[in-house]
Amino acid sequence: MNDLIPLMVIIPIIAAILLNLFNKNNSTVKILSFVVAIVLPIIPLLANYGTYYFGGHAPLTDYGTFLSLFPNSILNTLHIGITYSYGSMQQILIFFLFIIAFLAILTTIGERKKISGTYMFLMFMGLASVVAMLLSDDIFHLYIFFEIVIIAQVGIVLASNHKEKYETAMKYMILGSIGGPMLLTGIGFLLALVGSVNITDIVHVVKNGLINSYSPIFLLSFGLIFFGWLYSVGLPPFHTIKSDMYSKATPSGSALLQTLSVIIFISIGLAIFRIYNGISYVGTFIIFFSLAAMILSISMALTETDFRRIIGFLAVGELGYLGIGFGIGTKLSLTAALFQGLNEIIITALLFIGFGTTLYLSKTSEINKLGGLIENNPKTGVMVLIGGFALAGVPPLNGFQSKVMLIQSALDKGFPELAIIMILISIVTFMTFIKIFHSIYLKPKPKDLIIEDNKIPKSTTFTMGVLIIMCIVLGLMPSLVVNGFNAFIGGLI
Amino acid sequence: MINTQLAALLTSGSFIIIGLYAAIFLDNIIKKIIGLSFIEEGANLFLITLAYRADGIVPIFLSGMNPQWFAENSAYPLPQALVLTSIVIGASTLAVMLAIAMVLYKKHGSLSTDEILGDKNE
Amino acid sequence: MSDTYSKISDSVNKFKNKLKKDQNTGDNVTSAMAAELTIISTVLISAIMLRHLNIILTVLIILGLGLYLSTNTPIIGKIRREQNDSLDRMTFYVILTLAILVTTIYWGIIN
Repeated sequence: MNDLIPLMVIIPIIAAILLNLFNKNNSTVKILSFVVAIVLPIIPLLANYGTYYFGGHAPLTDYGTFLSLFPNSILNTLHIGITYSYGSMQQILIFFLFIIAFLAILTTIGERKKISGTYMFLMFMGLASVVAMLLSDDIFHLYIFFEIVIIAQVGIVLASNHKEKYETAMKYMILGSIGGPMLLTGIGFLLALVGSVNITDIVHVVKNGLINSYSPIFLLSFGLIFFGWLYSVGLPPFHTIKSDMYSKATPSGSALLQTLSVIIFISIGLAIFRIYNGISYVGTFIIFFSLAAMILSISMALTETDFRRIIGFLAVGELGYLGIGFGIGTKLSLTAALFQGLNEIIITALLFIGFGTTLYLSKTSEINKLGGLIENNPKTGVMVLIGGFALAGVPPLNGFQSKVMLIQSALDKGFPELAIIMILISIVTFMTFIKIFHSIYLKPKPKDLIIEDNKIPKSTTFTMGVLIIMCIVLGLMPSLVVNGFNAFIGGLI
Repeated sequence: MINTQLAALLTSGSFIIIGLYAAIFLDNIIKKIIGLSFIEEGANLFLITLAYRADGIVPIFLSGMNPQWFAENSAYPLPQALVLTSIVIGASTLAVMLAIAMVLYKKHGSLSTDEILGDKNE
Repeated sequence: MSDTYSKISDSVNKFKNKLKKDQNTGDNVTSAMAAELTIISTVLISAIMLRHLNIILTVLIILGLGLYLSTNTPIIGKIRREQNDSLDRMTFYVILTLAILVTTIYWGIIN
């Protein structure tokens, strides 16, 4: 049933438009978003692997009579329409993406008495866009949906009630207006060289030596697309604004924002990897920026005093691990990077939502003013602690499995330094986590801290429980997803 | 005879440079946003220039045309389609930015980026 | 022996005092010191990776970096200042990165 493939994008978009129309009608918005969110994860399980050609525009191979007019040309493999390809990697990531989105939506419904249809619109729009980015085999399609995600992300931040949200959103958009057109220009250079924006076509042309991999235009397109990628995922120099964005949104909003960023990272990163694999120093560039992200973010996280900002920096720093996996570029490392990406989505969602419960009990997020909250919500405290263990890579949780795979791949490739740095950063990450955990939950309660008697919604606790179960299951049985990733990467290299 | 394609490429390059200059050096937020839309338009102009072919024909294949002749003479339609989409995206981004700028002006009573988007701790 | 000890404790105290200027609690000083050590160690370790290019260059760079990092403590204060949330500073680094990236990629290979 290949027809189900585009539905993964179309259903969220239709839901988004409907939710926007029913903006004022509270119960309709609640029911509609809940139903759509619960239906979505079923689709990737039912859909078959394969490709879907929009408008039925199959590659030109099928038009034998037309092609006979142009013998021996690259037209033979040319894709003339937008192509969606759906494989094991897409299945796993989209399934988990929909689950996280469901949990984020559930938390939002539980948290608020009045639900804004516009906010739900933004969530579903962001969701649809990243699914399209994962499925798409067309680099311009990637760009379009990437720009839509930016607007959705800005909207999600604006929906919070942080008093500095407009400033952050403006900065993000200004930097985005530098990063986005650069990505577009890079795509333009590729188009000028190859004449197609389909990634498979471009890879075909590059692999068969029809264009020189070291021609200046091709290199320039790499530089510009790489720069756009840095912006889209929040690697340095964009790590400050990205962590700022995370810290300004509502907890469930930040969880979704981070999920969107990781999926963008994977989809554009895979496109870059596939197209520019032939250039010898691409891996070096990716590793350099990933290391910078890890080192700078962790050092900033250690010195911050706002816990939302700290988790934001930790989340950006964790992206460095994915980057290192992409940079090493072996089969094992790419599989590990995809697995790490999946784990990161789950763990950071858990941490954002878990630490976010602090905001119910007290209105501050300054760790110096907080303390002793373990008395008020011991259950959440323990759950957050498990999330922290998973983040730092304590066995038997999922973070451990993917980090071990990454370290193994670094050693195999002959980069023991990378392995050492990954272990070091993971220790410091744990230390940072313990620092916030201690100051929020364990430290004696400051005298001037007013704790309100707000109940933490059941939906939030349920969400955290589900996320922890996912952490444990993936930690004990990584083969559930690793085999799928491995098969996908095997087809790629 | 002026080479239209080269002229357009140079224009798009200067659009991008002017936009970057405005984004870095201008303090007024509206001017900054105008500069940013210059970058966007520069990229669009660059893409559309790729489709240009001197003395080309409209890329619509009619029955009875010789495909070989058509392929050699028609403009390339793909970048045109791409730019159309890109312009729409650019316009919505611009709208969002201007809306936020309006809110910021109401909040701070100023359009200087240094005042409204500078670091509060400094 | 006691001389060496007092020297070391003096330098630690000096270091702590330097950090205390912008931080106020002992907790933050510990974090800042941890961040400082993390930066120094990770930067030095990642510099070792240059051995794939040239070994002598690596030795020189590591010695230089080690000297620079150890004489310029606390470096975390400078790093923090450079990464604040002001738009001007962010734009500066973004444009700098773009320029360096495009220059190295475009011109680096043509020779």
